[in-house]
Amino acid sequence: MNETATILQRRIVVGAAICVAAFALVTLKLVNATLFHDAARKSARGVLEYSRADLVDRNGELLARDIPVSDLYARPHAFWDKQEAARDLALATGADERRLLALFNGKHPYVLIAQKLTPDAQARAMHTQLPGLDFVPSVKRYYPDGRATAQVIGVTSRDKHGEDQGVSGLEGGLNARLLGGRAGEAVQLSLDMRVQYILAHEVETSREEFSAKQAGGVVLDVRTGEVLAMVSLPDFDPNSRMFGNGDTTHNVIGQDVYELGSVFKIFSFALAMEDHTTTPDEFFKIGNGYKIGKYTIHEAEHMPAMLAARDILALSSNIGTTQIALRSGPVRQEQFLDSLGLLHALHTELPEARRPHFPSHWGTIETATVSFGHGITVSPLAFAAAAAIVVNGGRRITPTFLKHPKDARGEQVIKPETSAKMRELLRYVVTNGTGKKADILGYDVGGKTGSAQKARQNGRGYEHKLVTSFCAAFPIDNPRYLVFVLLDEPHGTKATFGFALAGYTAAPLAGRVISRIAPILGVPQRMQAALPGWSHT
Amino acid sequence: MIRVLNFFFVALTSLSILALYNVSERTRLADVNLARVNHQIAAEHSQISVLETEWEQVASPAKIAMLAETKLGLNNTATVQLSSLELLPRRGDDTAPLSPSPVRRASVQIPLQSGPLQQIAVHSGTE
Repeated sequence: MNETATILQRRIVVGAAICVAAFALVTLKLVNATLFHDAARKSARGVLEYSRADLVDRNGELLARDIPVSDLYARPHAFWDKQEAARDLALATGADERRLLALFNGKHPYVLIAQKLTPDAQARAMHTQLPGLDFVPSVKRYYPDGRATAQVIGVTSRDKHGEDQGVSGLEGGLNARLLGGRAGEAVQLSLDMRVQYILAHEVETSREEFSAKQAGGVVLDVRTGEVLAMVSLPDFDPNSRMFGNGDTTHNVIGQDVYELGSVFKIFSFALAMEDHTTTPDEFFKIGNGYKIGKYTIHEAEHMPAMLAARDILALSSNIGTTQIALRSGPVRQEQFLDSLGLLHALHTELPEARRPHFPSHWGTIETATVSFGHGITVSPLAFAAAAAIVVNGGRRITPTFLKHPKDARGEQVIKPETSAKMRELLRYVVTNGTGKKADILGYDVGGKTGSAQKARQNGRGYEHKLVTSFCAAFPIDNPRYLVFVLLDEPHGTKATFGFALAGYTAAPLAGRVISRIAPILGVPQRMQAALPGWSHT
Repeated sequence: MIRVLNFFFVALTSLSILALYNVSERTRLADVNLARVNHQIAAEHSQISVLETEWEQVASPAKIAMLAETKLGLNNTATVQLSSLELLPRRGDDTAPLSPSPVRRASVQIPLQSGPLQQIAVHSGTE
């Protein structure tokens, strides 16, 4: 009985073990199907899973994306007619036929035909029905807007590990964020493609009209610090990576530093208003030159013998501005420009940041020249940021290329009353001074022109070449946006009577930009419609 | 009794093996199917990605502006063409705007003498 029981027990145990083993196997298989589910899905999604994040503008419009492409390789020994294969593949991929034929007649059994073929080019290559073709999947960074955003977005380059790394523009500055982002998550920039296109179009038009060597512009939100548009010409095609004649990656707005000339008088007057060293209605003697030691300050254009301070700014008198700046003195001027951030490199998401150049010895003559924008070089973007402080109520902002729609104004740099006075003066420049061509019907624009002679390469004296600029804010009683445009070496035309000064070149450019972007940005219009049948004066 | 038990356990084992095979096979097929679907999803993602990029390119402001100018003869809107709703006249009354609020003057109509900002956008009703 005991023996029988033992056999029975053994059989029960064996049966139970088999059941447990079967159960365990089933369980394991189910676990395999569920636990590794994500991994299987991830591997199936392919190369896009590991690519850089998209870049989109503030409205979600695509600016940069990795698209699936293929690198095409071939085994030449599989071709019946190598010449015909070279011709067909050259037509399909855009590769050079002679190079392909040389490759096919060479020793290598496996040759590269073309890299980063787009899906349609891949389809054309497959349509040749040639044997021995091999498509290796890859990704290509693509910029749908091409040249319009090239300078600010920048480009990527493949590193030794085969991974795309940003090498210029925001691709470089936001590289870690673009690589580390979650799949499908885009990085939203502050740029507005509508504004970017308009700025690019108008800057290009003016550059052609005045045959300028370089040109650029930036549109800045003076409350949030967001850069809505930035353009620098000449530019390049970020999709071809082949530089045409005159193409460059050099960003004149963010990367270059300039002596900006009279547009700098904004800060000289802001300092005077802040310290109450003058009032807009105080008169100054102008004369035919202002002597400081062995130097004489001259005017760019003929000026009346006496000018009120507001007209000194409106007509851009160097002599008048010098007298006003000298009341503050070198120490205070340096401290004031420093507080506006003009004596340090401006750090934004753009990796290209240049340090400003300013006098090592800040004496009387330096105070005079700096007051009208000579002897100090700053980047146009840094200038725009400082000018934004002057008009936005006097509070510091830092330009950013990331969407940040909330008010980001920081510490108070100048008094709100000073800012209000400056807005009034800048409006006066546009209505009564050199900025008249920027006065746009319906939008109260305030601004200042700047026409600076370019320094010689050897550092001795100045050439008869100009850098003209215009800094505008609108609507000027409560500014929201700042537009800064710059033309490097513009030439006068018949329409400008041969003048290349900022009032004839940069001011109308800024005016055209504002007239087109203001309705898009929802800036309320202040005008009386010319309705038939009634008038209102 | 023992034979019955033996038969029962052998049958149970056989059934377990069959069930195991069945589940295993179904799991394998589900896995293959899953991989195929995932591959299709990936391919669709790629195609959508490319199509979105192509759409951005063909619908870029530069292309739209060029087409609007060449095909439709359109041009940029001048600011004088823009107005606000309150400036529209009432029906049957061409002489008064909808809103009784005073109408702001165009900035370019500002007299040449200087004045504070408050006077720049003057209200015609208060002048």
